[in-house]
Amino acid sequence: MHNLRLSFISLTSGAVGVLLVVYIGLIAVVMSYAALTVEFSQSVKNDEAAVAVLEAHYLASVASVTDTNYLAEGYAAPSAQLFVPARSVTALR
Amino acid sequence: MRAQFRSRIRLVLTFIVLAALLTLLRLYFIQIVHGAEYAQKADRQFASGGSGLFDRGSIYFTRKDGTLISAATLATGFLVAINPQTITDPAAAYSAISAVASSTLSRDAFLAAAAKKNLVYVEVAHHLSDADGQALAALGIPGVQVLRESWRYYPGGSLAAQSIGIVSYGSGDTLVGQTGLEATYDGVLSRSGDSLYKNFFAELFSNVGSLLVNAKDAHEGDVVTTIEPEVQTRLQDDIAKVNQRYSSDDSGGIIMDPATGAIIALTSYPTYDENNLQNVDPTLLGNPLVEHVHEFGSIMKPLTMTSALDAGVITPQTTYDDTGCITVNNAHICNWDSKARGVIPMEQIILQSLNVGASWVATQLGQDKFRAYFTELFGQKTGIDLPNEGHALLSNLSQPEQVDYDTASFGQGIAETPVQMIRALGAIANGGVMVQPHLASAVRLDSGITRTLDWSQTTRIFSATAAHETTQMMTDMVDTVLQGGRAIIPTMSVAAKTGTAQLTKPGGGYYTDRFFHSFVGFFPSYNPRFIILLYTDNPKHVEYASETLDSTFLDLVHFLIDYYQVPPDRGLPSTQTGAPASSG
Repeated sequence: MHNLRLSFISLTSGAVGVLLVVYIGLIAVVMSYAALTVEFSQSVKNDEAAVAVLEAHYLASVASVTDTNYLAEGYAAPSAQLFVPARSVTALR
Repeated sequence: MRAQFRSRIRLVLTFIVLAALLTLLRLYFIQIVHGAEYAQKADRQFASGGSGLFDRGSIYFTRKDGTLISAATLATGFLVAINPQTITDPAAAYSAISAVASSTLSRDAFLAAAAKKNLVYVEVAHHLSDADGQALAALGIPGVQVLRESWRYYPGGSLAAQSIGIVSYGSGDTLVGQTGLEATYDGVLSRSGDSLYKNFFAELFSNVGSLLVNAKDAHEGDVVTTIEPEVQTRLQDDIAKVNQRYSSDDSGGIIMDPATGAIIALTSYPTYDENNLQNVDPTLLGNPLVEHVHEFGSIMKPLTMTSALDAGVITPQTTYDDTGCITVNNAHICNWDSKARGVIPMEQIILQSLNVGASWVATQLGQDKFRAYFTELFGQKTGIDLPNEGHALLSNLSQPEQVDYDTASFGQGIAETPVQMIRALGAIANGGVMVQPHLASAVRLDSGITRTLDWSQTTRIFSATAAHETTQMMTDMVDTVLQGGRAIIPTMSVAAKTGTAQLTKPGGGYYTDRFFHSFVGFFPSYNPRFIILLYTDNPKHVEYASETLDSTFLDLVHFLIDYYQVPPDRGLPSTQTGAPASSG
């Protein structure tokens, strides 16, 4: 136990070295995390924008279907419409 | 032992120093060797200049099955900027940019901008797609920067444009909601700017409090509307056709759930494309359905009738002597055809739309009660979640002359917004209870919580009995009068009323050849799922609303029955449980 005495210089040098590595490592982690965050966030935004394009196609299709005059396209108007009564929501009714 | 320990310490220190050197070496390569490359990459991720990476919450339509479809969202792409100080060949740069950018500066403007050597940043093109932006960046043109940007995008274009609203630069340098839901819910939709690229460690060191409990998460989010995109498309299409067919000044329509006040579709024509605002008439940016007031004409008669029934001054069996014309305070009030009907019951006032009859009912009700009912119906704003809601003009009801009450009884002399009108008429459909019309049903907060908006405040105006009796009259109108009785749907009760009002002259008085047509209806009559209000302003070469709007109304009724599979409420044998019934 008595032989394990360390000089003050060695101890502080070691501590400084450890702190330096931790500090540099922390900077690297922070920078990497920031870069990944930006990348992922942008990726999400890009995906949302791609979905919006698909939604625009869907809404344009709805508008096209709504605006179509089926009689002008050669289809005949239905001679009668059938309505099916709603089913009872309870077994007892 | 001590020497052995020292050697171990040295070994550890050597390892640490080597690790530090390796890290420094890596940083050297990142920052010095590949610095320019990373800087360019960063530039693409962080737009500089005024545009910025605009961030904002979305607004959603809600399909009938609950699926959310974006009404307003963000698009991402690239903008192109030049640095006049470093650009070497402006003409070649312009050729390359204009080859991929659909909208950019004119050649002359571009060259003039490139000649301004005191500037370092001029944006010359926006909204490039990812592919085009990356292709342009790959060219590596000196003095040309290709930067990431995002912008507000409306997938529906003009769909519900005046309800959704727009964002633009207001008094400040940030984009804010200016009209429609964009303005009403700006506090929910706007972002503080750092939420997208928040750095956990930076937040940890600088502001641990906001990281743990972020107040913004409690109010920033997306807005979910009650607008059904396919119904909205149908209504918008129908209204545009009416307006074009009759060359009207403007037209509009609302479809609402009378039990909840949820607006399923709301439109007016003319409208605009939200993605292309460059040449839009600024007067179109507002929403006339909540901002403009009109004299609606005879669709007011059901409200007069229900008020009198509720007050107990008449019953459905009450009769009066219809003389065709009457004189009140030296003013002549006549039926639409000036013909007398003799002694007839109350229902005929609705069926034949008799002004003399409505005036008689108003007289029976008395001025004080009439004022009380109509003030309760129209005296307050509806509270709809759209900006700049207008006030109804009810000043005639504070006058002592009976003629003002008589004209008000058939919808002239007082003016209301379409939203106020459908809310009031919705009280008849909803058993006498008036609801709060609204467009947004919920807010999806960024915290993940969906906050349902409370629109449950209701006001009882009429008794259920009075509302039911008027509904019966309006249903008989569809079954026996509308389109000569051909509009009847044997398996579905539909209640409706037409309205034709004379338009006011700017200097006072009324035109005799200019009209405002309106139409209201709801179905199934006695447990309605939808109430529809339509109007068209100053249609040409046609006099009555039954000519302009009845086919549009019936088209919408049949569409909604099919689309929502509304089950029949009549015309089926009582023993029938599953067999189909036929309808014309």
